[in-house]
Amino acid sequence: MKKSWHSLALTLTLAAYPLCLAQAADLGMEGTTIFRFEQRAFPGFTKSTVVPATQFLGADLDKLGDGNLSLHLYGWGRVDLANRSTAEGPSDGDLSYGYLSYRFPTAKAALKAGRFFVNEGVAAEQIDGVSARATLKKGFALALFAGAPVQLDRDSNNKGNFIAGGRGSYRLNGLLELGVSGLHEANVRVDPASGSRQDRDLVGGDLWFSPERHLELNGHTFYNTATSGLAEHSYLLTLKPQKDFTLSGNYNQNKFKNYFTYSNIHSLFNPDRDGELKSYGGAAAWTGFAPAELSADFKRFSRSSNSNLDSNGNSNRYGAELRLTLLDSKLRSGFAYHRVDGAASFNAYHEVRGFGQYNSGRYVASLDAIGQFYRDSIFNKKEAFEVICSTGYQVLPDLALSGELSYGQNPRLNDDLKGVLRLTFNYLAADKGAKK
Amino acid sequence: MRGAKLFTAFLMVSVTLLLAACSWVAQENGLPSWHPEALGEGRPDCTECHQDQIKGIGKPNGTFKHTTQFIKQHRLYASQDQELCAICHRTSFCNDCHASDLEIKPSVKLGNRPDRELIHRGDYLSLHMIDGKLDPVSCYRCHGRNNNEKCIVCHR
Repeated sequence: MKKSWHSLALTLTLAAYPLCLAQAADLGMEGTTIFRFEQRAFPGFTKSTVVPATQFLGADLDKLGDGNLSLHLYGWGRVDLANRSTAEGPSDGDLSYGYLSYRFPTAKAALKAGRFFVNEGVAAEQIDGVSARATLKKGFALALFAGAPVQLDRDSNNKGNFIAGGRGSYRLNGLLELGVSGLHEANVRVDPASGSRQDRDLVGGDLWFSPERHLELNGHTFYNTATSGLAEHSYLLTLKPQKDFTLSGNYNQNKFKNYFTYSNIHSLFNPDRDGELKSYGGAAAWTGFAPAELSADFKRFSRSSNSNLDSNGNSNRYGAELRLTLLDSKLRSGFAYHRVDGAASFNAYHEVRGFGQYNSGRYVASLDAIGQFYRDSIFNKKEAFEVICSTGYQVLPDLALSGELSYGQNPRLNDDLKGVLRLTFNYLAADKGAKK
Repeated sequence: MRGAKLFTAFLMVSVTLLLAACSWVAQENGLPSWHPEALGEGRPDCTECHQDQIKGIGKPNGTFKHTTQFIKQHRLYASQDQELCAICHRTSFCNDCHASDLEIKPSVKLGNRPDRELIHRGDYLSLHMIDGKLDPVSCYRCHGRNNNEKCIVCHR
């Protein structure tokens, strides 16, 4: 079943590609070639030189056929030019997505077939399959999808073999949107030790509500019907008293038994440990002093568990960021400070970051520095830092060459010197949207 | 079993096609496939040009102003209005962070864009031991079922 879905999706996509290329009225192509250079030296191990070369390649072919059909492809391949860069083989690759899309002229209706990412209410999945969506009369809308979840490289059993779901919504223009969504995935491995499998069933409700134009509430609640329990609440309240000032508050609650149930790293996200995380916080953003944007945020995390007492406790994360955009956006810079106060059994740290970037259109240069300072030592070190110096040159309107040199020290490495060389090709047949 | 699943998929697509063909479907124009003007680098403020509600979305332009907080909470907006995101962002933009198998972490792939709000900057390998205990849910969203080939090197 799984293989047949893979084969069908990939065959459809690949078969359509040359045909579409010949007919493409509106073409977008992008490619990024990245060479990374690293020397790794760990005490007791042989020094190794790592030079992975990675090619990212994508294409968007729009206005095919009657003008409403499009094809979208993206993937990457990597070859190690020296020692191995990962625990996997000396080369690797992946088709990230490849799908045909047909957009109907009315009702925001669209059909998709191939490998693509679904983001509909409770579902955030990459699938090989089909999807359809349309706006209906009287403010209703419907989106459905079905297929096979994309498996991870390491084995062929880390996901289920069939997935389907959808989202229905109702909208009152400018006031309210209510959504109901569901997801069913068959035969998910839930315990690698015993190999036991069960179906994954989630339902969710989501909301956007704006009773007054300065006030918005949005968020969702997910429920695990297989374990009969709440998986997640996540809500955001936004207040905009002035055009340049935004205040927001958020509340989140997750029950691990119901939220982590279907993880394919059981030892890390172990639902059997039970436990719960509640978090709430707030943020303020002010753009009143253009070209400056000032923001501050605070979040409090409360973990509780009956079976894993070491993880219990309250932690806080808070900080502020200042951004400056000058010289008609040619110069962008920022400075941020954040503090994490861990619960009693956790570590704590300060984080400071500053960056500046100048883009003349032809030449680009930037400097980026980040430092973290821990309360308790990690591998006998109390701090980590990294400084990245980047420069680039726009060789042609669609072709840019750039590179970074970075130096850092951290608990694992006394010296961490790395280099990156990047060639970026980004062609759009017409000026539209964002370049990225 | 296999036949039943294929039938379910077939049924869902058929129902949707049927709905699309019948009078239930709204006749209003859809969103444009692309924002008609090219936008430069940096964070856009839609309200500089658009004052009203976004036609076809039914929400004000100000809802989608790309402040730091909007970017950090964008999952809530994208799960309801992904077709609006797609007017300006190509799928590859989302794929830089949201993929089943990410070869290079976003802050390295886009190391020439320090102005972008990218996750895991600096030595995150050390930091994740603290953040992961604090808020494992934020790890799970991206690594719980996908993009965890590097996690299993240690967390088997």
